[in-house]
Amino acid sequence: MKNKSAKEQREINILKGGNSFYSTLVICLFVFFLSIAALITAFNNLISMHDKNLSGKICTLVTEKMNHSIDSMTQSASSTSHVLSAQGFDSPSQIYEILNEYGKSDYLSIGFLDSDGSMYATDEEKIEFKKWDLKETALRAKPVSMSMPYRSALYGKPVVTVFSQFEYGNEKHGYLFLTYSLGELQKMAATQSLDNDIEIWLMNSESANIIQCAGGDEHAIGSWNNAYLVMQNIDEADRDVYREWIDKTRMGANDIGISYSIGDTLYTQFCSRISSMPGWYVAVRIPSNALSATMSTFRNYVLYFLAVLMLVVVVLITNMYRLSKRENKILTQLSIHDSLTGVLNRRAFDFAAEEKLSHSKGAALIFFDIDYFKQVNDQFGHDAGDRLLVAFSDTLKNNFSDRGIISRFGGDEFVVLTDMSSFGDIAESLVKTTDDVRSINLNDDKHDGPGFMISFSAGAAAYPKDADTLSRLKKCADMALYATKEKGRNGYSWFAPDMADPKANRVIPTEAGTKTAAAPVKSTPVKPAANAVTREQSVKPAVTSVTREKSAKPAVTSVTREKPAAASGAAAQAVSNPSGKKVVKKVVRKVIVKKVVKKKPTPPADQTV
Amino acid sequence: MTQKRSLTVLPVLLLLLLSMAACSKKNTADVPPEVVNFEPLTEIKEGRDDIYLIVKIIDSSYWQVIITGAKQAGDDLNCNVYLGGTTIETDWKGQRGLINDALTNGAKAIVLAPDDSVELATDIEKVHDLNVPIVLIDTAANTDSYDKCYMTDNLLAGQKAAEEMLSRLKEFGHTEDEQLSVGIMAGMATSQTINERLAGFYQYWSHNAPGKWSIISDIMNCNGNIELGDQMAVNTMKKHGDLAGLFATNNGPTRAICKAVSDNERTDLIIVGFDYSDEIKGLIASPDYRASTMLQRQYDMSYRAVGTALDLLSGKAVDIRFEDTGVVTVNNQTLTDPDVVELLKNN
Repeated sequence: MKNKSAKEQREINILKGGNSFYSTLVICLFVFFLSIAALITAFNNLISMHDKNLSGKICTLVTEKMNHSIDSMTQSASSTSHVLSAQGFDSPSQIYEILNEYGKSDYLSIGFLDSDGSMYATDEEKIEFKKWDLKETALRAKPVSMSMPYRSALYGKPVVTVFSQFEYGNEKHGYLFLTYSLGELQKMAATQSLDNDIEIWLMNSESANIIQCAGGDEHAIGSWNNAYLVMQNIDEADRDVYREWIDKTRMGANDIGISYSIGDTLYTQFCSRISSMPGWYVAVRIPSNALSATMSTFRNYVLYFLAVLMLVVVVLITNMYRLSKRENKILTQLSIHDSLTGVLNRRAFDFAAEEKLSHSKGAALIFFDIDYFKQVNDQFGHDAGDRLLVAFSDTLKNNFSDRGIISRFGGDEFVVLTDMSSFGDIAESLVKTTDDVRSINLNDDKHDGPGFMISFSAGAAAYPKDADTLSRLKKCADMALYATKEKGRNGYSWFAPDMADPKANRVIPTEAGTKTAAAPVKSTPVKPAANAVTREQSVKPAVTSVTREKSAKPAVTSVTREKPAAASGAAAQAVSNPSGKKVVKKVVRKVIVKKVVKKKPTPPADQTV
Repeated sequence: MTQKRSLTVLPVLLLLLLSMAACSKKNTADVPPEVVNFEPLTEIKEGRDDIYLIVKIIDSSYWQVIITGAKQAGDDLNCNVYLGGTTIETDWKGQRGLINDALTNGAKAIVLAPDDSVELATDIEKVHDLNVPIVLIDTAANTDSYDKCYMTDNLLAGQKAAEEMLSRLKEFGHTEDEQLSVGIMAGMATSQTINERLAGFYQYWSHNAPGKWSIISDIMNCNGNIELGDQMAVNTMKKHGDLAGLFATNNGPTRAICKAVSDNERTDLIIVGFDYSDEIKGLIASPDYRASTMLQRQYDMSYRAVGTALDLLSGKAVDIRFEDTGVVTVNNQTLTDPDVVELLKNN
């Protein structure tokens, strides 16, 4: 039962209502988005890696350029010193005069310290020197040195002063100073591209102080900060890297590159020592997204394209599926349903029943056979027969469809596989079905005559008690049906292990002795139908009174065929059903079927069916 | 049917999520801070020049001293002074509006304490280009286009604070061989004033502190929130057993560290801060604590700024564009110095 072919499984899915398309679509969408996510991640990683590499290279280049700019400042001072030395001036005043004459327009401040430490500068410049302790820097000029950036009181902006040693007089050493605006460095280090994104800082490794020399906002030039304070803004995961970078600069390491994130922006930073400013570094940083902006735009276009494509595909597939489903529904209706009654056909029933039984803990399979259906066809025509079949199947649907599956097995034969909590439960449904079937009115415009009473015969078998496979269950129910028919129809029987197999041409055992000895047949007649024409009534008077009992399924045999001696009497008898209810039944003791009737007799024409 | 609908909705939702993930932007509804519009600070008389003063935190004690200085200058130097300002120090947009208002009102000169050195640079340039004299006080702007600036050179002020810290640590008996640390609390990471003080402190410390004396690298940043700063200071005290001092870069953090030290009775800690809040005043006055503060000459800044504005209007040239008004160290040893006594009169 468990080993079903793929085709069978598909059909079962169809019978179950089939949601494989939606599952598949959801899975496909999931896989699609997963793939997109993977694509985005891979793309971002690629961009990030590319940016990092490129940013590193750009930072290196800019650092070199910045270093060259600083060098050119010191070179300028150095060249002037060479000229002064070459001139062989004796008098410091003469030197100062020359400097003012030729250099005043090129620099914010120009002057020198003589060998005695006397300063040749304006009074304001002298105040500045004192304030910022610039003499100390001057004395480090061997041959050149550079001050840290400071705010000039004269000009109100950040400046740097470059010193260069020169000779005058009789091997005396003087120290030329040239003051530049910090903005000059930016001009020298400026790049045509990425000018707004590259930030250039000077950093003092001892204090970790940094001062901005270049950046997107020219007004930010000269802004002081401290690397430890900057570190507070860096994402926590990258702070250790940044801290290590500060430590490395303190130890004098050169050419250090790092990457860190501040919020959503990844920065790549590179720094190298400034030869003319001991303890000072040029640090260049660039936000990686400055490079990836174009690629990111392209990525977003790809994403939007994929999203639109996916939407189109989903809409197309859904529409195609709907069309296909509509067609399938028609085909399925045709292939799994009986075209007349709308209940399952035999093949579909088998699939559905297998599936149902595989999950069932208790079920009953019941064969129904409309009594004397052929006579209805013969007497009232096929239309009436068809109407009867439809009405009968509707009755079964009303009574069993909420918990079972119904099928037309062929001709007037129906089968129901229903959940069963107790035998009484099934018995109740059968009694209700009997009542409903009796109320079927087959009259129509063409046949307007006295109403005829419909009855059915049924045989039931319990799963898993009687059989644990569908095929055996059907056989059992078939045997039970056969037994009911043998007893004269218009009733139902539960299978008993000792029932005869009709196909084996065995007969129901009788107490009077029959061809084959067997246990007593369990037969439960439903309510007596006063005007029900049964085979026994019409053809076989010997069995005109079919056993009628209303009870749950007898565990063994709740109602048995009585011995002939007792057959004449009728008595009210309490019968216990399996659920423990006591049902007062009218037990009609009947004569035992003496022989098996193999040919159905035709009911008298004047009798209603 | 529900399944079908959910299927239709699913891709749309996913797309939306994707779009949101790709281009998410924080969309907070910012409540604009209050701006105090111009009101006459002095008696307004016909025929006198109108000087417009724009300050940072109009209701703070520090800025009240500045306002007092400007008012006194207006009275002494015979000009009309109008006062406007912001209520928080970061509201440079509010100040931008005030600058425009001053120009619209026909200001003859503007005295400005910029909330942001960088953001307001273009506005200052605009005023300068209109030939309206603009004198900066307290904070410089990152532009050349102003006439004069009276302020504390914060780099030097930071250096002086570090000098005071080292001096007090030594006074307290800490030796050069001793391992100790000093914590720093900053008020706002974006303020140029604070950054410069911090840089100055680090600069002086790196050149002059003994090798075993260190600054805790995790700078506390309370963003002006005194309660947060108090908590940060307490945590630092608990975390660093060798903590010997705390330095605060401006008024808010100074109040925060004073509160933490006072509440925890950490009489062993050296405190160096800025400005003259009640908290630092209390610690300086107490013989149990060792607290110092760097007091700026803000009264001088505004008084002289109004004077310079009038000079400029009368055609006088300015020799030095940037004038450092300096800081005065106030501690329990200098409280009686005449210079300090005079300065404290206005604080």
